Amino acid sequence: MNSAREGFRPLTLLIFLAASLITFAICVAAGSVRIPPADIITIIWRSVRRMPAPADSAAYSILLSVRLPRVICVALTGAALSISGAAMQGLLRNPLADGSTLGVSSGASLGAVTAIAFGITIPGAPFAGTAVCAMASAFVSLTLILSLAYRLDFSLSTNTIILIGVIYSMFVSSIITFITILAADKVRQIAFWTMGSLSGSTYANARVLAVTLFVCGGVIMTRARELNAFAIGEDNARHIGVNVGRVKLIILITVSALIGVCVSIGGTIGFVGLVTPHMIRMITGPNHNRLLPACAFGGAVFLMLADLAARTVLNPLELPIGVVTSFTGAILFVYIFFKSRRNGHA
Amino acid sequence: MLDVADLTVRFGRLTVVNNVCFSVGEGQWLMIAGPNGAGKSTVINAVSAGVPYEGSVILRGRDLKGYKPYERARALGVLSQMNLIGYAFTAEEIIRMGRYAYAPGIFSRRAEEDNLRVTESIEMTGVRKLLKQSTLTLSGGERQRVFLAQLLAQNPSLLLLDEPSNHLDLVYQKQIFTLLREWLETPGRAIVSVVHDLSLAMAFGTHALLMNKGEATAFGPISDALTAENLNNVYGMDVFGWMSGLMAYWRRDSENI
Amino acid sequence: MRRKFITLLIGLILIAGCAKAGDSNAPASAEASAQTSGPVTVTDMKGRTITLSEPAERIVALTAADCEILYAIGAGDRLVGRGEYCDYPLEVLEVTSVESGAETNLEQIIALTPQILLLGTMAQSTEQLEPLESAGIQSVVSDAQDIEGVYTAIQLIGDLMGRQGESEDLISKMKSDFAAVSANAEANKGKTVYFEVSPLEYGLWTAGSGTFMNEIAEMLGLTNCFADVSGWAEISEEQVLDRNPDYIVTVGMYFGEGPKPDDEILGRPGWENLNAVRNGAVLNLSNNELSRPSYRLAEGAKLLNDFVMEHRAPE
Repeated sequence: MNSAREGFRPLTLLIFLAASLITFAICVAAGSVRIPPADIITIIWRSVRRMPAPADSAAYSILLSVRLPRVICVALTGAALSISGAAMQGLLRNPLADGSTLGVSSGASLGAVTAIAFGITIPGAPFAGTAVCAMASAFVSLTLILSLAYRLDFSLSTNTIILIGVIYSMFVSSIITFITILAADKVRQIAFWTMGSLSGSTYANARVLAVTLFVCGGVIMTRARELNAFAIGEDNARHIGVNVGRVKLIILITVSALIGVCVSIGGTIGFVGLVTPHMIRMITGPNHNRLLPACAFGGAVFLMLADLAARTVLNPLELPIGVVTSFTGAILFVYIFFKSRRNGHA
Repeated sequence: MLDVADLTVRFGRLTVVNNVCFSVGEGQWLMIAGPNGAGKSTVINAVSAGVPYEGSVILRGRDLKGYKPYERARALGVLSQMNLIGYAFTAEEIIRMGRYAYAPGIFSRRAEEDNLRVTESIEMTGVRKLLKQSTLTLSGGERQRVFLAQLLAQNPSLLLLDEPSNHLDLVYQKQIFTLLREWLETPGRAIVSVVHDLSLAMAFGTHALLMNKGEATAFGPISDALTAENLNNVYGMDVFGWMSGLMAYWRRDSENI
Repeated sequence: MRRKFITLLIGLILIAGCAKAGDSNAPASAEASAQTSGPVTVTDMKGRTITLSEPAERIVALTAADCEILYAIGAGDRLVGRGEYCDYPLEVLEVTSVESGAETNLEQIIALTPQILLLGTMAQSTEQLEPLESAGIQSVVSDAQDIEGVYTAIQLIGDLMGRQGESEDLISKMKSDFAAVSANAEANKGKTVYFEVSPLEYGLWTAGSGTFMNEIAEMLGLTNCFADVSGWAEISEEQVLDRNPDYIVTVGMYFGEGPKPDDEILGRPGWENLNAVRNGAVLNLSNNELSRPSYRLAEGAKLLNDFVMEHRAPE
């Protein structure tokens, strides 16, 4: 029996890693303002050697303070959203599951808006209140949506979940509007927050994202075998000895944390978590041992490219990244859907 | 081996299984029979911890509720009516998952024992040709054999089968039942299965539990439980007459040849 | 959702504002001149002719700028209803508030029995406004796109209210204020300014050509960094760093959490080498001085001019 099959083959890993690094390099090199490649190398070299920044160099600031932290944040967000999408699609055996289709992203927004409207803050850490509320609300939403879905239809069929997700999103957006009206003095702040973007990302954002991704993504990856069992069917998972309740709880918490952090930093970005796992599954197959790490890379690449387009297509204007992801994501999704229909994949 | 007492399952206000008692000993094959809606599958679901229940289920002297999920899976395996699969897993991946209960931790070990069991169950069920195939492209019968292979790789001492040959054509039906009878020959094993086909129950069962409307109407050795009187009562028709009538067609044809 | 919010946001910036309108030097020269009477005929800013037998006594104004103008010409007491985002001067908050913009609710307006409804850019079709006509309420559109348009609007409102004298005074005061600030235009040649409408955290939005901010920058002899962009637009942070403005004006409001808008800009990583940041030349104008088609544009121009004078490098 070929025992190397289940894991991630070193060569595949290398290819994914290389693709991510190349995309990363392209995204750092290209941008709204053109910086010659030679200058880029000099700037990075100087900063690695901790040499003082040359006074009066706009390129230096643009590259190190604006572009680099943004590309890092975008890559981490893409990875986090794809991993959570893949985990939910496996857990619920539902190829349409994703933070946005399930209403988790809306739930996270609700938490953040509530925090802003009622001034919930954590002393000493401005804006942390928003992030924590977003995470908590994402978790409550996910639990609520799933328990409702289980009540209606124990098999958690695709239609039921998506229907509940859509209804929940609409319900939440009405609550958000209501809160906005109640907190009239915070209207502008809420409006700003809702259109939150990854522009202006800082290294501090990147650190928060990296730590969350490392911890939650790591926990999800240790549950790859259980996710495989869930992807075959929850009953089968129980029959072969998976602690279904506990695994479900672990996945729900980690996914909520990932989505909550992403939403509180970059706003809701659709389609990444939905489309990337489908594309990756076409390469690696459905086994989560390979799918999850590949999704981390694939999601990072997808979102970095989407962000590159957002930054450069209408230069000097900037497009909201969600416009790019929804546009390309929807087209890709239709393509994948038809292709997999023809091949008999779900 | 398995002792079930006063098993009651309620869905809301509806009582689906009411005070059912039965037991299975080593080497026995218990057939659960009864008309549609008798609660047969629910009994299997309760014993495999799929639905909440009242009453006691004692497996090898220990209450089932005290088992950890992986301990339960080592002792007791389930084959459902029809397994739908969401993604294109290969047959081999699905069979290998049967070994989950022996390494439920974070890191999966690939012990020799695992490979041995997997190979053995692949041979027994004859699915070697299917190993690299996506299970989405398998026929119903092939898929059922793959899950049977998973179940055998799991190596429990008690099998719970919920209409294992449902939707299967006769060839597979015969294969699976013959295979299960062989499996049962090893000491320390037992089978509980729900069957619709009373002839199969008669042919393979050692014991039977006859159910109707959530209650146990008869339980005991197969010939004591599935008597003409009991069956006619439960099904509300002359079961023996119907079955013998059907058989008569076969006899006549063979005489003509 | 996002698109909707951007529209909402721009709407809010245009019409909403904060309630701390402190130093009101509105020339409310109320009883200065006698009120004219007799029939009034005006042409509104959509080219429609409106005839009144008498100057209006009861009026509902939906936009914040029109309310400001009404108070400035001493006709604030005739306001019986105001759009929900009107907030200047403070007295306007006591007037009954009605929904405005796309949410405009005709029932609310008819219930207030005004003679005139003053609208901004029409979110409604003429047909939709018909119930007003049958209720005897005439709708007047005041839709200024530039400073010249603001003069027209002031004149229009003055005519409607029979306060031509006050509106003439207000316009000439604006003109003289603008003349005063444009006196420095020559000295400011070559200096650039960047207007920030939404802070970095939410994506940078600026005001390009065709906005009041751009018009006032030109009046002061300054060059708007983003004159190549038209209207309000989200622009790249890299471009701001590359274009290196000499002055930064933010219209951001302070929400009581974190640093104030101008301090936040001064502390942004990567912005420390900008001329404006190095010289501390960041101005926060958070009372909608530069975004509303109102007489207060002159105030905003003065504030910006003072600020530029203060930070001008010694020659």
